[in-house]
Amino acid sequence: MPEVSDRRGRELRVKIGGEAGFGIKAAGQTLARVFLEAGLDIADLTEYPSLIRGGHNDYFLRVSQNPIFSHVEDVDVLIALNRETVDLHLDELVEGGAVIFDPKEVSPAGWLPSGKIRPVPVPLEEFARQAGGAIMRNTVALGAVLALVHFPLEGLAESLRVQFAHKAPEVAESNIIAAALGYHYVSKNVPDFWLKPRGIKNAPKQLLIDGNEAIGLGALAAGVGFYAAYPMTPASSILHFMAKHERDHGVVIKHTEDELAAMNMAVGAAFTGTRAMCATSGGGFALMNEAFGMAGVSESAVVVGVITRPGPATGMPTWTEQSDLRYVIHAAQGEFPRVVLAPGDQAESFELTWKAFNLADQLQTPVVILGDSYLSDNRRSVPVFDLDAVTVDRGKLVTEGDVAQHPEALGENGEYLRYKVTDDGVSLRAVPGVKGALQLGNSYEHDEYGYGQPGESAETRIAQNEKRMHKLDLARTLVPGPNYFGVAPADADIAVLCWGSTVGPIREAAMWLAEEGVPVAIMQIVTMWPFPAMEVADFIGDAKRTMIVEGNFTGQLQGLVREQCLLDVDHSLHRYDGRQFTPERIVAGIKEVLADA
Amino acid sequence: MPKVADFETALTPTWCPGCGNHAMWRALKETLEELELPWTDFAMVWGIGCHGNGADFLRCQGFHGLHGRALPLATGIALSNPDLKVIVEMGDGDGYGIGGNHFIHSVRRNIDMTAIFHNNQIYGLTTGQASPTSDQFMKTPSTPGGVIEEPVNPVGVAVAQGATFVARGFAGDIPHLKELYRAAIQHEGFAVVDVFQPCVTWNKINTFKWFRDRVYKLEELEGYDPTDRTMAFETSMKTFHELTCAPDECKVPIGVFYREEGMATYQDDLPQLTAPLHKLADSPRDISKTLEAYAG
Ligand SMILES: Cc1ncc(C[n+]2csc(CCOP(=O)(O)OP(=O)(O)O)c2C)c(N)n1
Ligand code: SF4
Repeated sequence: MPEVSDRRGRELRVKIGGEAGFGIKAAGQTLARVFLEAGLDIADLTEYPSLIRGGHNDYFLRVSQNPIFSHVEDVDVLIALNRETVDLHLDELVEGGAVIFDPKEVSPAGWLPSGKIRPVPVPLEEFARQAGGAIMRNTVALGAVLALVHFPLEGLAESLRVQFAHKAPEVAESNIIAAALGYHYVSKNVPDFWLKPRGIKNAPKQLLIDGNEAIGLGALAAGVGFYAAYPMTPASSILHFMAKHERDHGVVIKHTEDELAAMNMAVGAAFTGTRAMCATSGGGFALMNEAFGMAGVSESAVVVGVITRPGPATGMPTWTEQSDLRYVIHAAQGEFPRVVLAPGDQAESFELTWKAFNLADQLQTPVVILGDSYLSDNRRSVPVFDLDAVTVDRGKLVTEGDVAQHPEALGENGEYLRYKVTDDGVSLRAVPGVKGALQLGNSYEHDEYGYGQPGESAETRIAQNEKRMHKLDLARTLVPGPNYFGVAPADADIAVLCWGSTVGPIREAAMWLAEEGVPVAIMQIVTMWPFPAMEVADFIGDAKRTMIVEGNFTGQLQGLVREQCLLDVDHSLHRYDGRQFTPERIVAGIKEVLADA
Repeated sequence: MPKVADFETALTPTWCPGCGNHAMWRALKETLEELELPWTDFAMVWGIGCHGNGADFLRCQGFHGLHGRALPLATGIALSNPDLKVIVEMGDGDGYGIGGNHFIHSVRRNIDMTAIFHNNQIYGLTTGQASPTSDQFMKTPSTPGGVIEEPVNPVGVAVAQGATFVARGFAGDIPHLKELYRAAIQHEGFAVVDVFQPCVTWNKINTFKWFRDRVYKLEELEGYDPTDRTMAFETSMKTFHELTCAPDECKVPIGVFYREEGMATYQDDLPQLTAPLHKLADSPRDISKTLEAYAG
């Protein structure tokens, strides 16, 4: 088996580390924007503890002229704002990689001199003070890193203006001076470095966006009217995004007293025909469960974001995992139809969110967007969203006029029947305010009108239960199918099954393996429920050798495959330490399996 | 405009004969008729309990939500369609126990809606356990040795939390109750109406007779000023009593404890809420400007 080809020199990987509260993520994103402007592909990764100050933070940035799909383990340039960064991350540095540090802050004792490391000492703090304040140390370092890799400084000035747009103009200008001081110092004093990324002229415009921003944009595009949430990492940034755009887009945003309220409010808003959404992480979704079920039995069109962090209970708030799949598919007591969509990247987060609103309306049932921290917190460059592709399909919804104009929705006595049994299970939904649309939304089982007491008869229960569950058949015809990458399963040395954000590192790994002559097939399940059993069975059936890669201990997708397809995969790769798979790990895992073959 | 009979469904109320819920149902139907509210202009929301079974008996646009969660459900309706008046019916276990957090927050929001609490000081539907408003020392199947804790003082909590309308009614006095309902529904802001609703089956202490012997009306109390928050709070404390207290030893005030008109409602501070929000989804929203912030 050949070694993984060396990606060194074909791309730039920078890591900035320091104490929490030092604006490391903001600085990193400022650097990312410089390369975005230059037309390059970008993936970043922020790692931080659940603390406001103190503790270690680091920001990783990967920039390439070629398409990339995830972060990687290797680092070419390490910006060490404190000694801890050196201790924690020096071993990630490639041979010949550079460490930018302030000798006043980070003593060279113990790790320098080393023939394998290129030390780049820069008086970060002194320059920052010259520019106006020690806080700008990380901006000086941004200038330094650009000089080191021979990238023009101009883009950074622009990006700093964006970063500090909400502050007094002097702030951006002092930062620009700080960056220039770092830049010129390194240009003058540091010998030539081997890494020289180049911008791409006339590259198509891209967005640099994280998963939660993409979800928020998807909801806005879909015409969301009401969003309710209680803050919980890593879902909180959706709330912040929505609140920021509350006025300019006319949405009502409610930060509620708890998640119970958030989900119940969303159902209430959906009752009036408003496109309604709430989002949280696993713990908050636990509080939402009962009302999630109410959305099912009352046939309410709501969209629920569940952004996973490692559980159980409070778990690891700022880290990632794929451990809520089973939970979300089964959440709430009783049986009712639901759709669960799991975006694999930022572009898909946007697309699946606006589609989720259509599905919720067409099916009149809750739709879940199942994400995770890796996706929600990290940015990727993606093609500018195609807004012309966005459609609004409200299904069988009536918001005006007289319900008498819709005889198909009336009973024998001429009364409107909100839960009338139909062939596809979906009834005409005339909202309050429509003349004659008297109705009872109900958390109890109910009859066609909505009354609870007659709902207890065996016949009514069967009719209503079957009506609702039949909507899953309709759902199967409407939901997005799986994504396939790489070669066809029959042509692959290994066929990998996955879902959600792990698809990024898996695609990256597959690309590397392909360069070495190892063909890989990938199937990314997008609609987790209703489960695409036929497609999965076909994929597994065609493959010589199969593997599931998922970020959990128990093999939740694998369990579903066994249950839904009566099949199994040959191998599985798990990770449950709060970190996303790296392509390196996946390559190693696949090679191990193939070596045994 | 719908009349009392139009507000009735074909289903016959299943409440126990003599239950206070019958009187509250009647008072509400009559008030709705008198207010000449068209069906399209209001929405009802119920929690779960005997009170909530009223959802089956009142013909209207409504939602029978979850135990304890009627207020947030109603809030979602009120905050997405400003054309609807929203009236919520809850129980004491429902609204002050399991849903107590929503009660506090709905009050402080001064969200424009009417919240009616069927306060029978017992869990009716689940066969007679103690409720948050059960009197101390009351013996029930869940508290055979007597309730240990002090009861919730819903009027006091609402007043303390800045409520703009707080009243208490008695199911044994329908004309008075209707006056409270009317004032509450017409009030702009969060209107709390706690109603003594005797449960004839499980609460053998706080019976119709018990209340008849003890209630008095604040409207008739000389010097009572319902715009005086401190007075309202102090008066709310007078509801606490020994279980065995004689009629002349413990008197129970009913009527409007507190009202404050002209205060901004939660909805007033939402300039984007001028029309039903479902209109926002008539076609895809143009987000091209918003996208620019993320473009390279
Ligand atoms: C989450 C939840 N817990 C418990 C119940 C069972 N339950 C139904 S009604 C009720 C209490 C009813 O008491 P109250 O709210 O005072 O209403 P009442 O029946 O007296 O009108 C309970 C505990 C439930 N439906 N949901
Ligand atoms: S149990 Fe009590 S509250 Fe329930 S209907 Fe009977 S009397 Fe009324």
